[in-house]
Order: sequence, then C-alpha cells, then structure tokens
Amino acid sequence: MSPRREKLTSPQTRIALARGNRPAQHLLPIPGPVDTEAARRLFHRQRRTAMRTVLLLSVLLFGISGAFALFPELGQLRFAQVPVSWLLLTVGTYPLLFGLALWHLRSVERTEKRAAAGKAATRGDQRSKERGRPR
Amino acid sequence: MTSVVAIGLVLVTSLFIGIYGVRAARSTSDFLVASRRVSPNWNALAIAGEYLSAASVLGLAGLLLKNGLGTMWYAVGFTAGYVAVVALVAGPMRRSGAYTVPDFAEYRLGAPRLRKLCGCVVLVIMLLYLVPQFKGAGVVLSLVSGTPYWVGVVLAGLVVSGSIAAGGMRAATYVQAFHYVVKLIFIAVPAIYLVVHAGPETRAEALHPEWGTHFPQNTSVEFTVETRFSLDEPVTVTDVSGTEVGLPAGEHTVSEGTEYVFPEGAPIPHPEGLPELGSDRWSTPLLDVGGYPLFETWSTMLAITLGCMGLPHVIMRFHTSPTAHVARRVAVGVIALLGVFYLFPVVYGLLGRVLTPQLVLFQGTDTVAVVLPSHAVSGSIGTLLTALVAAGAFGAFLSTSSGLLLALAGGLSHDLFQGSVPRLRLAVVVGTCVSVMLALPAQMTDINMLVVWAFTVAASTFCPLLVLGIWWRRLTLPGAASGLIVGAVTATGAVGWSILFPAPEGWVTVLLGQPAAWTIPLAFFTMMIVSRFTRTPEWAEHAVLRLHSP
Repeated sequence: MSPRREKLTSPQTRIALARGNRPAQHLLPIPGPVDTEAARRLFHRQRRTAMRTVLLLSVLLFGISGAFALFPELGQLRFAQVPVSWLLLTVGTYPLLFGLALWHLRSVERTEKRAAAGKAATRGDQRSKERGRPR
Repeated sequence: MTSVVAIGLVLVTSLFIGIYGVRAARSTSDFLVASRRVSPNWNALAIAGEYLSAASVLGLAGLLLKNGLGTMWYAVGFTAGYVAVVALVAGPMRRSGAYTVPDFAEYRLGAPRLRKLCGCVVLVIMLLYLVPQFKGAGVVLSLVSGTPYWVGVVLAGLVVSGSIAAGGMRAATYVQAFHYVVKLIFIAVPAIYLVVHAGPETRAEALHPEWGTHFPQNTSVEFTVETRFSLDEPVTVTDVSGTEVGLPAGEHTVSEGTEYVFPEGAPIPHPEGLPELGSDRWSTPLLDVGGYPLFETWSTMLAITLGCMGLPHVIMRFHTSPTAHVARRVAVGVIALLGVFYLFPVVYGLLGRVLTPQLVLFQGTDTVAVVLPSHAVSGSIGTLLTALVAAGAFGAFLSTSSGLLLALAGGLSHDLFQGSVPRLRLAVVVGTCVSVMLALPAQMTDINMLVVWAFTVAASTFCPLLVLGIWWRRLTLPGAASGLIVGAVTATGAVGWSILFPAPEGWVTVLLGQPAAWTIPLAFFTMMIVSRFTRTPEWAEHAVLRLHSP
C-alpha cells in the first residue's frame, strides 16, 4: 500500500475525520422540539421499566439458586431420569431469560411509540411521527 | 492430524473472510465499528460469536467435570448479562453516539481526563480476558498436534493479530458471525452424537452421580505435578516398571512425574481441595469451592450478569447498529443465540465424569471437550468428532480474541493516544504480544477463573459508570472517577491476592476469591456518595435526557 494513495471516503467519514478524536454530537440539544417536560416524563417511564426488568431478573436468578439451596429434594426428584434441579438450571432458565428480555423490549418500544405519537400530536407534524416510528 | 486439518480450515476460511472485508476498512470509524453499516442479523450472530469464548466452549465442560453442576450458573450468568444489557444500556449507549466506554464517559461527564482513566481500566479488563483465550488456544493446539503448549500460544497470537491488523472490525463482523455457526455446529453435533452413541448404561451413569465414579478402563495416569489425593478403598495400581503397588485407603502424595496404571472399575481418587466427583457437593447445582455455596453462587452471578455490560468489546458492538431501536433488538437476538449454544457444554461435562474422570487428577479438565469424543467413540468417527470440537474451540478463541484485541487497540490508540489506522494496527500487535507473554505461565490456571476475574473488574468499574451515567442525572465527574478507582483497585486486588496467596477455606478467602458481592456495591456507593457532595453541572440533565429520547 503506497503512502500517497488517495482515500475515498463518504462525506460523513470526512466530517468525522476532520473533527478528529472528539466524541460525536457532544451536548447537542434534544432532537425535535425542546420539550424538556415531555423528555423528563419519557425518561422516568423508561427508568421504571428498566428497574422492573432488573428486579425480575434478580428474582429469577437469586430465586432459582436460592431454591436449590433451600430444597435439596429438587436434586432427588427426577424427570425422565434427569434430576429436576439440573433440568431447571441447564435448560429451563434460558427461555425465561429470553422471555424477560422480549417483554422489556415490547414495553420500551410501546413507551417510545406513545411518546413519539404525543410529540407529533402536539406539533401536528407528520414527519416526526414517521421518524419516531420503528421500522 | 484430522484436527489440525479442521483447525486449518477454520483458520483459512476466517482469513479469507477477513481479507474480503479489508476493502472496506479505510477510516478509524470503519476499522472500529464498521461505520455502522452492519445488518442486525449479522450483528447478532457476530456478537454471539464474539462472546462465546474459550470459557464457554472449553471452560464450562471442564469446570463442570471438576467442580460439579453449579458451573452451569456461569452459562446462565453469561446469558443473563444480555438481559441486563437490553434493560439498562443497549439503547441509550447507541444514542450517545460514543464508540467506546471511555467515549461515553467523556460525553456524559465532559472530561478528557476521565477518558484516560477509563482507557486504563479497559486495558486491565481486556488483558485479564485475553490471557485465558490464549491459554485455551495453546491447550487445544498442543493436544491435537502434540506440539508444546507455548508453540500453540505463540501461533495463536500470530494468527489473530495478523487477521485483525489486516481487516479490522468490518472483517471481524463476518468472521465472528461465521464463528458462531462453527462453534454451535461443532459443539452440538458431537454432543448429540455422543449422547446417542453412549448407550443407555453410560447415559444412566452420567445422570446418577451417586453411583460413584470409576475408571472406565485400565487407565494410565501421569502426574505432571506433585499431587495429594485420598482413596476411599484400597486400590492396586501398576507403575511404569510393571510392578504392582498396593495403595491403602486414605491420604496419598505422589511426586511429580509418577505414572500409575489404575485398573478398570477402581474408584477415582479424590484430589485435595476438589469436591468428590459425583458427591452431593458435586451434583448440587450451586457453585461451591470454598464452602459457602449460596454466597459464592450469588456473588459470581452478580459479577457475570453485571460484568457483561461493562465489557468494552460488548458495548462497542452496539454501535454497529444504525439506531437504538435496532441495537436493543440485536441484544435480544443474542440472548436466544446464547441460550441455544449453552444447552450443549453440559453434555461434555456429564459424560466426561463417566468416560474420562482421570482428567481431574492432573488438572487437565479444561481439555475434556476435546479429549472426550475419542475416548467415547473409537475409530475414525471419534477422530472426526475430536477434530470438530477442536476446530470449534479454536474458532471460539479466534473470534473472542479478535474482538478483545480490537477493544484493546481501541483503548490504546483511540482513548489513550490519538487515533489513526496505522497506530491502531500497532496497538493490536502490542496487545497480542503482552497477552501471549502473560498466557505462557498460565497453563495450569482454570480458564473460567480468569474470565470471571475480568467480569468482576468490569462489573465493579464500568457497570456503575454506565448505569449511573445513563439513569441518574446527579452523577458528577469526581464521583465517577473515585468510584472507578475504588472498583478497579478492590476487584483486581482481591482476586489477584487470592490467586497469588492461596489461603485455607474460610470467610476471608471466599470474600477475596468472589469479591463481586462487595466490590460492586462499594463502587456504586462511592460514585453516589461522592456525587452527592459535588455540584452537578447544569447541562447534565440535558445529556441524560438525550440518551432516552427516541
């Protein structure tokens, strides 16, 4: 690779290179109309959803391991020869974790959709609705 | 020989994909995060491929054989980590527009010096994570080719740094997606074949640890280090010269280099400090190394689940998604892919206890997944299965270490110095050299122990930084900095201390060996308390709200 080779870059990349090493969009205003109250409400709603998910995740993980410690019988009970506790740990937990993540995803997307719709309604601007809607 | 060919094929294909990707790598942004052009499905596959490291492919089965069923909590934790990522960081991190955790720190708290501090923490985490990867590669290569351990480690270093320095992340995305498929197939197919082939007797024995663990055939055991073990009943073994040696029940110490042939059906001796194979302690699904199972399990779960979000290479991956919306969906996809993969390592551990229990006697349990197929199935099919697993393990090493090296290179060149592509390439080479050097003396250390150490440090540093930075507007620069320092020092120090100065069982040892339960809250509280006493800049709320507006 010769040092004098010309680099073909997209305009975005050129801007990024010209900006140097600083992080992008530092302290830009919140996109759209600066409705701090609405943004705050959205933030609090998202935080509640996140806390709910983390709480359920802890209940799931600590609950199952706690159950193994409290009820050693789970190791004696067998389903198709396999101890129930083994089955629960090695197979059962993954669908639960996936379901929890999926539920969280749905809730968050619903919240965001509603926030975007609310924003569009107050401004009567169709374009921001298009942008806010997940594709 | 077949294994060497299979590993070679994985390698050549990876390099081909890597070189094909070179055409795109032109700017720092291309190199680090593929300029955000990667499709979501590829991205999810690549994240899963990068994440399933030697700890998952080799370490889990090995530790399950050695320490018991509780080991599978690691796998659950690795998966649960992504639930925490989806819930707490994936979307907002993508919206911040930062490439790396140090970038985010600078965005959120507006201080270049904090970025340097974060860059140092990235280096610590990445090195702790890279060393076990190189160890895994060295072990696999020396097993299948008969070369010494160090040759495997050095070769692995050459391959991975070469492919990364040539292609960067653009190549890595496709290489890693390819590696997920390789790993899943190469672990799943032999596992299913082994279960079917093993026959009802072996299967029943694997599921009934209380029947005891015996040598499946006359087995020659060479003790590579001085080993202390105990016997429940007397056994007559044969030594190298062919003379019979009667070992009475009770404690024994054999010196380094001793070779005994144990007869078929003899009970497995119990090496000192390990749970008896198949005992209650082994078959109860809780992590129990130091005698406080529930505490150890919970502490490890905290470290792994919260550490996942703090791993720099995991976070970096979400910037290859075009929007926050896609980034979250990608993370949920990763959970599904991980869940499917983790169904299989358990097979090797359970069958390994029945078919290759002698591995626990010479600290060779990390090799069980590679050794088992040829013990279980004779002839060419056994060789082929071994080759598959070996290639899968090598794929695990390649993809994880290339992701880690990129994050390490990012940390070195982007955060600590000015970023440019040639610098980044140099950083990859330097990172590889250091990890190879550190991996050389680590042959006897468990892969998973080192990996959990990396997770513990990540969970005690970047997890509080990200969680509080994203969800709490009062976080201030002094708070973040002091929390990072406290978390990094306590987590790194505690585990390091417990490895360098092994102490007898007891509370202190457990607290030092599994420190996550106290280091994570300590880091969180430090950040919160110091932040309370310092003034929040007025733009802080703005920076937080921006992370959450769609």
